[in-house]
Amino acid sequence: MAKEKKDDEFKVKFSEPVGMMAAQSVGEPGTQMILRSFHFAGIESAIATSGLPRIVELVDAKKKPATPLSTIYLTGSAAKDIEAAEKVSRKITEVKMNTLVRRIVENFSKGTIKILLSGQELESEELTPKQVADKLGKLMKLDCSVEGFAITISMHTKNLREIRAVRVKIMRAVISGIDGAGKAVVQKDNKTGELYLISAGSNIESIITVEGVDKSRTYTNDVFAMYRQFGIEAARNALARELKATLDEQKISVDIRHLLLIADAMTASGNIKGVGRHGLSGEKHSVFARAAYEETIKHLINAAAFGEIDPMRGVTENILVGKQIPVGTGSVKLAIRKEDMAKVKPKA
Amino acid sequence: MAKEDNNKYYLYLNGRILGYVDDPKTYVKEVREARRKGLISGEVNVALIEKLNSIDINTDKGRIRKPYIIIEDKKSKLTPELLDKLWKHEIDFNYLLRNGVLEYLDAEEEENAIVAFGDEDITDQTTHMEIDVTAIFGFTVNTTPFPEHNNIARHAMLANFTKQAEGLYASNFNIRFDSRAYLLFYPQAPIVTTSAYEGVNIKHHPSGQNFVVALSTYYGYNMADAVVINKSAVDRGLGRSIFYKTYVDEERRYPGGQKDKFKIPAPTAEGYMGEHVYSKLGDDGIIEPEMHVDEGDALIGKVAPPRFLEENIGAGGLEEKMRDDSSILKTGEFGDVDSVVFTESTGATKIVKVRVRSLRVPERGDKFASRHGQKGVIAMIVPQEDMPFTENGVVPDLLLNPHSIPTRLTFGHLLEELAGKAGAVDGKIINGTAFAEKGSVRMEEYSKMLEKHGFDRNGEEVLYDGITGMPFKAKIFTGVVYYNRLYHMVSNKMQVRSRGKVQILTHQPTEGKARQGALRFGEMERDALIGYGASLLLKERLLDQSDKAEVLICKQCGDIGYYDRIKRVAVCPLDGSSSFEEVEISYAFKILLDEIKSLHIMPSIKLNL
Repeated sequence: MAKEKKDDEFKVKFSEPVGMMAAQSVGEPGTQMILRSFHFAGIESAIATSGLPRIVELVDAKKKPATPLSTIYLTGSAAKDIEAAEKVSRKITEVKMNTLVRRIVENFSKGTIKILLSGQELESEELTPKQVADKLGKLMKLDCSVEGFAITISMHTKNLREIRAVRVKIMRAVISGIDGAGKAVVQKDNKTGELYLISAGSNIESIITVEGVDKSRTYTNDVFAMYRQFGIEAARNALARELKATLDEQKISVDIRHLLLIADAMTASGNIKGVGRHGLSGEKHSVFARAAYEETIKHLINAAAFGEIDPMRGVTENILVGKQIPVGTGSVKLAIRKEDMAKVKPKA
Repeated sequence: MAKEDNNKYYLYLNGRILGYVDDPKTYVKEVREARRKGLISGEVNVALIEKLNSIDINTDKGRIRKPYIIIEDKKSKLTPELLDKLWKHEIDFNYLLRNGVLEYLDAEEEENAIVAFGDEDITDQTTHMEIDVTAIFGFTVNTTPFPEHNNIARHAMLANFTKQAEGLYASNFNIRFDSRAYLLFYPQAPIVTTSAYEGVNIKHHPSGQNFVVALSTYYGYNMADAVVINKSAVDRGLGRSIFYKTYVDEERRYPGGQKDKFKIPAPTAEGYMGEHVYSKLGDDGIIEPEMHVDEGDALIGKVAPPRFLEENIGAGGLEEKMRDDSSILKTGEFGDVDSVVFTESTGATKIVKVRVRSLRVPERGDKFASRHGQKGVIAMIVPQEDMPFTENGVVPDLLLNPHSIPTRLTFGHLLEELAGKAGAVDGKIINGTAFAEKGSVRMEEYSKMLEKHGFDRNGEEVLYDGITGMPFKAKIFTGVVYYNRLYHMVSNKMQVRSRGKVQILTHQPTEGKARQGALRFGEMERDALIGYGASLLLKERLLDQSDKAEVLICKQCGDIGYYDRIKRVAVCPLDGSSSFEEVEISYAFKILLDEIKSLHIMPSIKLNL
């Protein structure tokens, strides 16, 4: 009985301004956050944006995070055996041509491109010049011939422009691994001893197709990637989870319900919207509320052009004209007016 | 950068690259030697920056430089013989500079120097020595005693407080007309001084007084940087000062031959404020000396020609319409007219200066600070009979909360208190110069002085509660500390308002002390009330207590109508209808509607009746 009463006290009551409370609950600790603080010693590529910049990034619904990061869980033997895990890691780690090339020379008179590969790099990625040439040939439909560490590509044109274009493309070509997956590094969970990967990329669509990857737990900090792969509910969870993780990292405790409310508001329409001018605030119903926020003139002119009617149901617009706000004590109204009482016939 | 280039150093002159140097160390050494020999200017500084592979030579203006004694082969270039000559005035500072005994280093070259504090610190690597150890502090810090025992952050505060202290700022204050001046009644030289303080002779125009301070709480009245002071001490002149403010006005000439005139404005003048305002002015329109003035009183009566040329120029003939432009004492100001001066500007126009003096007896809210960055605001002025007193009947002038010491690490304050007490009982001025003596040695010295006169060696006293007469259980550290009265005083800052002026444009309350303004109920305050759900309180703040306006809304077209007082009907400017609803809106919203209308957009209000 006592427990029930306590639960009840935490329930949101009718007409409680939850949005304002969520904003204040996140905003106030936000002032204490140190801009770009605490950097962990660790893998260079796995340092994620943290603190205020990360919060801003999430809340503004940035299409790509500044530091995409995926946590890739493994299935079967790969989750325990470090060799197997490394193997999966190699399948994922993105290796671009430009990291393998030591020198690249175009011969415009013969119409060839000569590439000298770096033996050291090839060794560390466990690739042979043959494999690289095959991959290049397949990827870009080129004639490749291998000679030691040198690959010669004969073009069937002597057009300077085309050769240069091919050269640029070659340097960007992904030879092994998954495009946009970054470098995957094997990590060990200290509690369970399970092995998993962390990669500095967010191409989760392709990552989960790799054999040995646990599709159900693999996760990325790129909310939009989560949305594309798993849908809006997953994106909402990811948003709340990322917000919470960022605040936790700074040892700021904010009730999860505030963050869930923000995540809900951002994803309620079925796609992810930021809170700013191009998102929630820019899509308020009230003309005045929008005009009071940003781009005043634009909203007023559009309202005039389309004959918009402001229903005056929000907070901002009612403060603007000087009415009682429809929140808290302002949300209750008289059911019947005094003068109408006379019209009501008393029961006989 | 490739490896083979490592030995090549870039050479920069005032930030611009000049070339490369192969052997940087020799190069820098040669430049420095040339400077010491006087072959190149002493203002040249060279710095070798190994991290950046560069040599920076700076010769431009605006660098902060500091003199050091040059050390070579573990020996100071300032030999005892030279020092002897210096004492005899046979040579001077510049001689030492010219002869490579001293040199100035800038911030960059200082990075290459290894500086010893004194002869005993010199090692093989030492390149320079401080002329005096105290030179590691700035001048202001060196005028405070025992700075080496304080936290450096407190020194930064102290430097500010020193500037804000009231004192005898100039001995000709009587004939000066500073726009604002503060003058302490009984300035005292500090009992605990430093050689820097003595050196600049500021003890002849000091800016503080030696307070008897007890490190004690007083009920709850000196919590959190508040201090309690002794009312009888205040009555005897402790911290008493005068505030001078000068009002200046000029009889300006305007193009077209018009000019201002000092006189009591005629009641017909534009902006005439009523007879009482000008009642204290003399016949010439200027206030008389020693007249008491309060806010709203005119000090200098002046009429000026109208701001805009009017069409009836010359038509009136004799009495041209003039505008009142008198100098009025601002709200909250008061005092007595100290002196009045008539002068002339270079343009041969008449200038009047009126200096108003007002007494500033310490009151609750006035600010004091010791020389250790320990500031405090008076929270209570206690009658002497209620203050704690010592066995000898000494009543402290000021009670400082002991909590203000440990977290701030201002141990110099405690040391000064002890030294001040020792100096006071022994009749001696104490030298508190930084690093002159070890702290423990100093303490022993002061303890002996105190013991000689029968005081506790630690400066502690049995204090008796002035209210109950009972002794406090703990002994209380009591001593003498030099306190500055700072010029931040409530009487210059205090401001109140319940109802008052509003702005013309917005009908909202004014802001700021000068306009008797209100405190802004801002956006974040608004958010707090929304968050709490207090809708009626929010409406009261933002509408009823601010810019409430009652407007007539046309029931047909939704435009704002007006009341025609001659015909006694309400009129809608759009459709001429006269069926209206009276609605309360914020005046700001009315302006918004007007501005939208000015954009050729027709806003109309639909009323839900």
